[in-house]
Amino acid sequence: MSAPRPWNLIAELTYRCPLRCPYCSNPLDLAAHPDGLDAEAWADAFREARALGVVHVGLTGGEPTLRRDLPAIVSAAAAADLHVHLVTAGVPIDADGLAALQRAGLGSVQLSVQDAEAERSDRIAGAPVFAKKLAFARAARALRLPLTLNVVLHRENLARVAELIALARELGARRIELANTQYHGWALRNRAALLPTREQLRAAAAAVARERERSRGLEIVFVLADYFAERPKPCMGGWGRKAMVVAPDGRVLPCHGAAELPLEFWSLREHALRACWEDAPGMNAYRGEGWMREPCRSCPARAQDFGGCRCQSFALAGDAAEADPACALSPHHAALVAAREREAAASGGPELAWRTLR
Amino acid sequence: MTREAFEARLRDILAERYHDRHPFNLRMHAGTLAPEEIRSWVRNRYYYQTRIPIKDGLILTKSEDPAFRRQWIRRIHDHDGDGAREGGLELWLRLAEAVGLDRAEVASLRDVLPGVRRACDAYVRFVSGHDLLESVASSLTELAAGGLMAERITCFEKHYPWVKTDGLRYFRSRTEQAPRDAAEGLGLVLEQATSEEDQERCARALLRKCEILWQLLDGVEWGARRLRLAAGAQLRDDDGEGPLVVLAERAVQMNGTGREILGLADGSRSVCGIAAALRARNPEPPEVEREAYAFLEEMEKLGVVEEAR
Repeated sequence: MSAPRPWNLIAELTYRCPLRCPYCSNPLDLAAHPDGLDAEAWADAFREARALGVVHVGLTGGEPTLRRDLPAIVSAAAAADLHVHLVTAGVPIDADGLAALQRAGLGSVQLSVQDAEAERSDRIAGAPVFAKKLAFARAARALRLPLTLNVVLHRENLARVAELIALARELGARRIELANTQYHGWALRNRAALLPTREQLRAAAAAVARERERSRGLEIVFVLADYFAERPKPCMGGWGRKAMVVAPDGRVLPCHGAAELPLEFWSLREHALRACWEDAPGMNAYRGEGWMREPCRSCPARAQDFGGCRCQSFALAGDAAEADPACALSPHHAALVAAREREAAASGGPELAWRTLR
Repeated sequence: MTREAFEARLRDILAERYHDRHPFNLRMHAGTLAPEEIRSWVRNRYYYQTRIPIKDGLILTKSEDPAFRRQWIRRIHDHDGDGAREGGLELWLRLAEAVGLDRAEVASLRDVLPGVRRACDAYVRFVSGHDLLESVASSLTELAAGGLMAERITCFEKHYPWVKTDGLRYFRSRTEQAPRDAAEGLGLVLEQATSEEDQERCARALLRKCEILWQLLDGVEWGARRLRLAAGAQLRDDDGEGPLVVLAERAVQMNGTGREILGLADGSRSVCGIAAALRARNPEPPEVEREAYAFLEEMEKLGVVEEAR
């Protein structure tokens, strides 16, 4: 099938990160993927992306501010006429570094926090970084850079969504994303220690509703975990449909997790971006609806959810072409529900395994 | 609770939540509203006036008691008028003329702001979906209305002398009608709501009504908000698929009218001013203002536009 227009390029500049969050969306074998693209290669990618129709680039990782050539990369993205958005943990960059990025053409920032106060946040991050994160947010505010706060929610921080929203208000954020952990990669490994109970989620949703009332000018996004939904999410807006991820090694992927699927994706080190997007076998594997089986094939929701998440199907059902087990219509849904009930009910739960290079 | 304690509870709700404490009302009575804000309030509040006889008609259908209906139907006559006298709707249109608005334009309801429309529709829906007791309880905001109307007359005479006194006849008529209506409604509620459960339902209905009146004024205030393209938003006119705004988390496509509205949102115009400017360029279609308001609401929600400060 012919490839649709991509709108958004997610540039994973490196998998290196000073944080060790136990739900990291990077691959488990991240040490096997060194930074493969220099600033010049990224500049080529941005120009090619713009020619394909891309208007927005998210610079992420790992931690993108670990790259010493980040100002050059930002500058290249801005020169390619893209909106440049930085997704960061707020370290190791400082206020001067952020000002330099703004001068280079940075348009907006997203900052992760792990909890609403230092001790708990630092525990999840696996590093003493909370104070630096607040300093980063204030620097962004002083520079009038639109700021989004991003928090991954799980058993240990769900009780503090109200405090997190208050923090976003205090920091002058324009948006806060409260995203319940999706169980891939590191998060799947730590699932039994992260899964909340349904009661925790209900209380958090109620707190979000209350805070919305008093948060004019702050967009609050609350994303429920797949495990607690009846229908899958339209993952990435559809496979290879709107967005592309470029991994640190140069491979062009339909999402962060697809690198773990047994598919052939192409790399910018060997191919032009257009070919990687339009022609790579992996990129075409689940485009459109031709690959779908029942219950997706005849499902009226397939045009909205695109069959959900291929990576979740592969991880839980053993085949990426199966229906997403998050969907109540999937024959594998019962197993997902059983895991949810079993692991959420286990009080205490096992220890978290923090992200590490192995 | 006792009848006295229940009545005190209802009056406490009004003391805390009635819209006389809304910032817009406080500014009106402090005399600091600009003529354009007064006009916007009069124009928008007319939609509420048109909903009153409709909700009173719904209340009539809930009662099996001829004596109650005989008494309550008078409210509809008060608003719609009868052979002998002009009703509240007519008096409100006189107020509209007295503040310098075009009577036919106000009566057409074409530029009622969306938040105001939602609040008023919510009131009719509330009455439609609740029983006689809760519906009458929701009308008890009248208990606070008489005093507010008297205060309003004084304040208009003092602060807004450019409004012709003939226009204030609506407020004068309500200073008499509201206390009488309120006494009748309160009598019914105190008599019929004797169980804790019914009293609670009544209190909640009154709270809901206070919330609706509050939201109505929020809706009026929104019309005065000066909007502009959000900081950091990238407006592209070079995209093959039409005008496009790229933001931190999303890209928003729009059609030519949307682009024209966005062009008018330059931080110097209010929401109402943008709609008026669009109307000046497009005299024909009746839905120009509604489209402009709906578009600006959506764009504000998406972060495409923000309040200019």
